[in-house]
Amino acid sequence: MSSRWLGVGFLAPALVAVLFFFLLPVVMTVMFSFTNMTTATGITGGEYLLSKSRLRQLEAEGVSEETVERLESAGYQITEQGLAALAEEFGEDRADELREDYMGESFTARRDLERVLRNLNDDPIRRTRDRKAAADLFAVTILDERFPTEPAFRDALTESGIDPADHDALVKTAYTGWTWTTDNFKLLFELPATLRYAMNTAIYVVFTLAFNVGFGLFLAISTFYLPQHLANTFRTIWFLPRILPPVMYVLMWKWFTWDTGFISTVLSVFGVTPINWMTESALNAWTVVVLINGFVGASLGMILFSSAIKAIPLSMLYASEVDGAYRWDQIRYIILPQLRWPVLFMTSYQTLSLLTSFEYILLSTEGGPGGSTTTWALAAYTTALRNYGGNLEYGFGAAYALVLVIIGIILSVLYLRFFNFKELVAKPRIEQ
Amino acid sequence: MTVLKRCTALVGVLAALTGPALAEDISVTVWAGGSNDSDSYRIDAIAMAADILEREAAILGEELNITVEGRRDFSGWEEFKQSVTLASEAGTAPTIVVTSHLDIAPWSQAGYIVPVEDYVDLDAWPLTDVYPNLMEIASFDGIQWGIPQDAESRPFFFWRETLEKLGYSEDDIDALPEKVAAGEYTLADMLADATRAVEEGIVEEGYGFYPRNNNGPDYAQFYQSFGGELLDPESGKLIFDRQAMTDFYQFFVDAAEAGVVRRTHLGMDGNQWYREVANGKAAFWHGGTWHYGRYETEGNDDFWGTIQFSLIPQGNENGRPNTITHPLVYLVMDQEDDRIEEVAAQLVAIATEPRINTLHAIQSNHLAVAQSQADIDLYRSSRWASEATEVLLGSANSQPNHLNYGAFSEAMYRGLEAAWTGSQSVEEAVAEVEAQLTTTIGDALIVR
Repeated sequence: MSSRWLGVGFLAPALVAVLFFFLLPVVMTVMFSFTNMTTATGITGGEYLLSKSRLRQLEAEGVSEETVERLESAGYQITEQGLAALAEEFGEDRADELREDYMGESFTARRDLERVLRNLNDDPIRRTRDRKAAADLFAVTILDERFPTEPAFRDALTESGIDPADHDALVKTAYTGWTWTTDNFKLLFELPATLRYAMNTAIYVVFTLAFNVGFGLFLAISTFYLPQHLANTFRTIWFLPRILPPVMYVLMWKWFTWDTGFISTVLSVFGVTPINWMTESALNAWTVVVLINGFVGASLGMILFSSAIKAIPLSMLYASEVDGAYRWDQIRYIILPQLRWPVLFMTSYQTLSLLTSFEYILLSTEGGPGGSTTTWALAAYTTALRNYGGNLEYGFGAAYALVLVIIGIILSVLYLRFFNFKELVAKPRIEQ
Repeated sequence: MTVLKRCTALVGVLAALTGPALAEDISVTVWAGGSNDSDSYRIDAIAMAADILEREAAILGEELNITVEGRRDFSGWEEFKQSVTLASEAGTAPTIVVTSHLDIAPWSQAGYIVPVEDYVDLDAWPLTDVYPNLMEIASFDGIQWGIPQDAESRPFFFWRETLEKLGYSEDDIDALPEKVAAGEYTLADMLADATRAVEEGIVEEGYGFYPRNNNGPDYAQFYQSFGGELLDPESGKLIFDRQAMTDFYQFFVDAAEAGVVRRTHLGMDGNQWYREVANGKAAFWHGGTWHYGRYETEGNDDFWGTIQFSLIPQGNENGRPNTITHPLVYLVMDQEDDRIEEVAAQLVAIATEPRINTLHAIQSNHLAVAQSQADIDLYRSSRWASEATEVLLGSANSQPNHLNYGAFSEAMYRGLEAAWTGSQSVEEAVAEVEAQLTTTIGDALIVR
């Protein structure tokens, strides 16, 4: 076996992972975003169903009044054909009684006919199951009946004597599944909240990113100058936000900031009225959101930057000290220039991950107060997956998500070009 | 030799087929959303019903073996609803679910559920015994999709001691529910009392009125208090009433400005909320009938001596005192085998029998679904169940089963939150909700 195939073999797990966990979700997001898919339409496809509420829409769709009337009034009719079937399955006597008393009558609801069958004088149909089966023998209505395919539905329409001119409109209204549409994107532009979500996302990404990188750098450099064991202790402490389960971590922030929490309790000693420091105002909420996310991100930066600093040969630092450099000069002229690539990496990586992250916002402010910390990703989540009333809007939520995917891909390409990816993955210059 | 083997096998198969001929094994899974330990009868009732149905079948000479498995360990409604819908898409749906009646509209269109009316006799006991308005809530588009599993309602609560300090006599307090029901004690009166309670230091600032801390059916009650109607029965469309929405938002903004409720109240910790209202930290609040049990676990073992309850007071002359009931319903999920649907529907009907349902009602502090439950000793012995049924259930209405009601309710709540927290003015918030709703569900909406 050639070594090329061996290489492909080794890469295969990674390729499969990329395919399933990256490409497939992106392709599906694109697909979903061009549909009107909701809980009600289902995901795997629809059937054909005329219900009462759909009948109401029919006239607006241009279906003739006569057709609507016919569909509405069909119901259950006592006909010879039905009676023959009844006689065969449930006996001549019952059919005769029904013929005598109800021939030609129609019932709009099955329940009414069931009542009749239940109260037959001679020999009522006693079991519920039988009564329902018997009533169904007289059905002429196609209301509330689900047809799995379009031809089956069209056949039923023809059989019911519906004007063929109305068939197309009926098929369209009766379809319960999703259809392709570009309306989601139109909606995005029309909704007043869209611009606010975009602004919120910009605020969130810029400030959190600045904090992540800035604080990460500060931690890395300051711990670099500490004795080894002390440095490790500090790094471990600052790593806590990342390793704590998000729910616990945010709960601690709540204990810290809420009106019954730490800040309020301490300040109340000085006569300050307790307030909810997390949600008192948009500014409060943003500060807390940026800090919560910032501390999580900063720990990653700290680790990356620390190892990058450690890669700087100590001889360079000693030499600079011999030349009379202060700590600040070392940072300014030796450490920071060597950290250029890690900083760029962190910036690009964090921008992309912040754009799509919303879990800490959801857990802390829930996008409040009054929607002021609702970011684009959170809006996508609530639209697609969170609705007290039950009808989740998968298609519209995917449209929100698709915008993020597009921005993410554009930014990735830009980062790769600007930061010259080839150089980024080249051997460190220090070792050359 | 081979021939002999084949013959033996054939004889064996025939013997198995002709033996106890009609043995039928049916396995039923019940998933209950929003259920904790005290709601165990949502599942246990189905198991009890299975036992009865098996015995009935045995008498008819049929061997029916039903195994019932239940699941209620969902972290919340979101997880439950996602699990149910995804399982349905994958063809592994549970047989019976206990869920909000609001799910009927989307799930029926999607074909996830089947109408119980296809399998049970609605004109026979015990279903004829169920309150007609509750049966109505479990139906949609003229079809009876489900059977109410429990009932509840969302009353307004008063802390008696605070009222006494405000100058109410005990008789006054006892007469409050009637005054509220007659529209003589309104939300404006409540706000005035709450403001006074805060100003006189009877309760702390922000504790005059202590509403629900997150979205739920409760807020639609205040929309109704100010004259809002949720659904136009004629056209089947939802109604956005600009004036009612404005008055409703304005009421909460006024309350926040008066220091009666905190601007940051929404989103507060639920456990803290329960602890505080149960122990008299708030003067007025509203909640659900199931709170009765919760107050006890929060340390208040004298509900009747400390708390008064009523309908949600009228907001202004356009509105009415009201309360919303948000019953959970039993729904039968679409199965490949119709026989399983049939058995499931029958189990649901049996589980609705008064004695069985009363076990759930009393254990979980819910209200009865059927009229004759009031005659069952266990139910009658609970003062809360009896009085709450009497004071509240008669005037209770529900949120409409409508495909777009979820979007409506979310938008209404977001607008309320924006106005309440001050991030938008009331006019801006109402205008934005209106714009959002007309854009997204315009076809199904009437704007007044």
